[in-house]
Amino acid sequence: MKKLVLFLLIMALVLPATAAIAQEEPVEGGTFHRGMVISPRGMFNPILYTETYDNEVIVAVYDGLVTINRELQPVPQIAESWEFSDDGLSLTFHLREGVKFHDGVEVTARDVEYTYKTILHPHYTGVRYGTFAVIKGAEAYHDGEVDYVEGIEVIDDYTIRFTTERIHAPLLAEFIYGILPSHILEDVPVAELEAHEFNQNPIGAGPFRFVEFRPDRYVVLEGFDDYYQEGPYLDRMVYHVIDDEARPVYLRQGRIDFVGISSEQIPMVEQLDFVDVFDFEAMGYSYICFNLRQERFDDKRIRQAVAYGYDRQTVVDIILDGYSKVANAPMPTVSWAYTDEGINEYPYNPDRSIELMQEAGWERGADGVWEKDDMRMEFEFIYTEATRAQEQMMMLFQQNMEDIGFKVHLRPMEFSAAVDRIDAREFDAFTLGWGLGVDPDPHGIWHSTSVWNDAGWVNERSDELIEKGRTTVDQDERAEIYAEWQRLMNEELPNVFFTYTVNVAAMNERVQGVDRDPGPQGLFWSEILNQLWIPAERQ
Amino acid sequence: MVTYLIRRVLFQGVPVLLGFTFLVFLMINFAPGDPVTHLRGVPDLDPRVIEDRKAQLGLDRPLIVRYFDWLGELLQGNLGRSFDSARRPVANLIQERLPVTILLSVSSIIIGWGIGIPVGIYSARRQYHLSDYTITFLAFVGVSVPNFFFGMLLLYIFALILNVLPAGGYFGPGEEFTILRMLSYLIMPAFTLGLASIASITRYMRSSLLEVIRQDYLRTARAKGLRERVVIYKHALRNALIPILTLMGFMVPIIFSGAVITEQVFSWPGLGRMAIDATHQRNYPLMMGITLMFGVLTFLGNVVADVAYAIADPRIRYD
Repeated sequence: MKKLVLFLLIMALVLPATAAIAQEEPVEGGTFHRGMVISPRGMFNPILYTETYDNEVIVAVYDGLVTINRELQPVPQIAESWEFSDDGLSLTFHLREGVKFHDGVEVTARDVEYTYKTILHPHYTGVRYGTFAVIKGAEAYHDGEVDYVEGIEVIDDYTIRFTTERIHAPLLAEFIYGILPSHILEDVPVAELEAHEFNQNPIGAGPFRFVEFRPDRYVVLEGFDDYYQEGPYLDRMVYHVIDDEARPVYLRQGRIDFVGISSEQIPMVEQLDFVDVFDFEAMGYSYICFNLRQERFDDKRIRQAVAYGYDRQTVVDIILDGYSKVANAPMPTVSWAYTDEGINEYPYNPDRSIELMQEAGWERGADGVWEKDDMRMEFEFIYTEATRAQEQMMMLFQQNMEDIGFKVHLRPMEFSAAVDRIDAREFDAFTLGWGLGVDPDPHGIWHSTSVWNDAGWVNERSDELIEKGRTTVDQDERAEIYAEWQRLMNEELPNVFFTYTVNVAAMNERVQGVDRDPGPQGLFWSEILNQLWIPAERQ
Repeated sequence: MVTYLIRRVLFQGVPVLLGFTFLVFLMINFAPGDPVTHLRGVPDLDPRVIEDRKAQLGLDRPLIVRYFDWLGELLQGNLGRSFDSARRPVANLIQERLPVTILLSVSSIIIGWGIGIPVGIYSARRQYHLSDYTITFLAFVGVSVPNFFFGMLLLYIFALILNVLPAGGYFGPGEEFTILRMLSYLIMPAFTLGLASIASITRYMRSSLLEVIRQDYLRTARAKGLRERVVIYKHALRNALIPILTLMGFMVPIIFSGAVITEQVFSWPGLGRMAIDATHQRNYPLMMGITLMFGVLTFLGNVVADVAYAIADPRIRYD
């Protein structure tokens, strides 16, 4: 009996392995069908798009100087190598030779210059100027004082150097934007670029050539034969616009191979034996923001009381079916800057909440709600997404808060309307989420001068650490700085951090070459689109 | 008739539509939020970028000026450019989607009227029979069931369980156009959208016919010895249809607003999906374009109903 078990065990180990080996030679051909629940706008221009659905097409059509791998590190794409100068201010990229745009013209440093100089142009209509404003002379050019950018130098056809005003560590990971063909666009006035038909007929140097866009219906791409790297093996990649509720049906009918799904759809999709379900933590977190401009919230003990008093683990386990993680600091666990050392997890403990409130000098009024001087812990709480899970979370929040003497008036609002109130700073508290870039630099959200610092949090030490983090080049040193910053945020709780985002996706098993153990960027990202393939018998 | 139509369009249609666009313009601008709200997701955003964007979109000018600018452009046949990142002309965006929305709406009208009228007649002729009660019951169910629920039910049965119809969408890339394939895409959304019309037209047709059947001239017809068939279809029906025709005018906006939901459920690439999205994004020019579109169609629906009225009822003349 023991032997039989052993034999079965060995077979179980060996069989999948042999199957995997048999599949390892990629073959050409086939169409990969992807689903998306919102149609792209048709702004297939890497420096002008603002919505992720356009970007899903853009990453396949364009390649950038670098791209980001599953460990969130920059890796070569059109640039085969790069180096920083000793003072850390200049970044020189060496381009591969022989990289071709889809119209056959070679990519050179001139195209790179065109792409990034356009972002800095006075008439540029997109939103990325802030990201590259640190380049030397960018401001003078943007303000129209000079007609050149001092910090962008084309050395030769395959070498370009960017120089910054000061050391800016996140910069390298920003050079991901697809390179635009200057031979097509350089005569188009920058102000008119956004309405140019090129944006609906894009030409890049990525693994897939653009073929057709039908709004609200589909986008068709074709494998680019002259791609400078391996592959692409697929003949075509088609994006289908489908209703979010119908996603399991499309998967079942085999009309799409891949789509992101909601956690509620997992049971339906898991019944399909030819579809695999993957979940992975994404770069993002949700949070509860109090308006610290109001005196009653401007004491960390109040926020800590909320953190102890809200049963976030139950939210994750029961309401979100385990497809999430409790967050205690604003850094996703998948980031290289994440730390759990010295982080208080604020486990559910309503007694501790009450102690903290008493320590802070509050007393319960006749109706059990905390009062102090002329202040009262009764407030309006804005939330936006009216999904079932969100409603349940809010009900639990209201109940939990009542248990610890906080009276909460829930106020569901449409997103735009909610943002209006938040921007006007006319709110008590709200909950929303952030999607983050690959670099951990929190300046854009948390620096006291940032426009998105909705809480109105001002803390000298935090500003110091944020500034130090972005002016330090060494990644280990930066991780140390951000670890200290996370501990500070965890103690001060300018927001009560809520959950880390977990994404779920479903993929037809016929598609090979995907990342079976997805990192934060999902099952496939820019770097491996060219490696996807479908076995001949299943094309 | 022709002078009536000209009068109707010039002296009624144009002022009504003008007032309508002005009201809609005010309402969508007074709604909280604005078209640059979605830029919130962009980290490292320079605050100046938001102000610049508002200026590029013309949002920094007074409301009234913006309305008359819009109207001026409209008179030159220009609906402006959409406020989303792609800045495509509103006319193109509507033009791309209008044909499929019309296909869906007209099909649902045909289904609604094609089924509702005969069933209503049958129900009226069998008044107080079991079949009449059954039809009445089903009609109430049909009126009460929300569009999206019925749509999901159809999807569940025919796409997921039986797997005989596509789960929505309309012609994928490279699919050849055949009538049969078109019907396979069309049938579920058209029935979903037509359901409420079937139900309400059945009800109206039934009561309208019952009303007429009691009239003296029908008793006279029967007394003359005409066969029941002739009495009903020649004499009663034509008179019973008149109130139903007025319904047609009212149903146009109902069908278009129903299309908004139905298109969402079936990923139908029409105006409805775009209208919802434009509203969420506060895409003012696109919202104006779409509401103007619906306004014109509703008005035309009413004119057509009036004309049909005159044709069906010889007593009515427009001079």
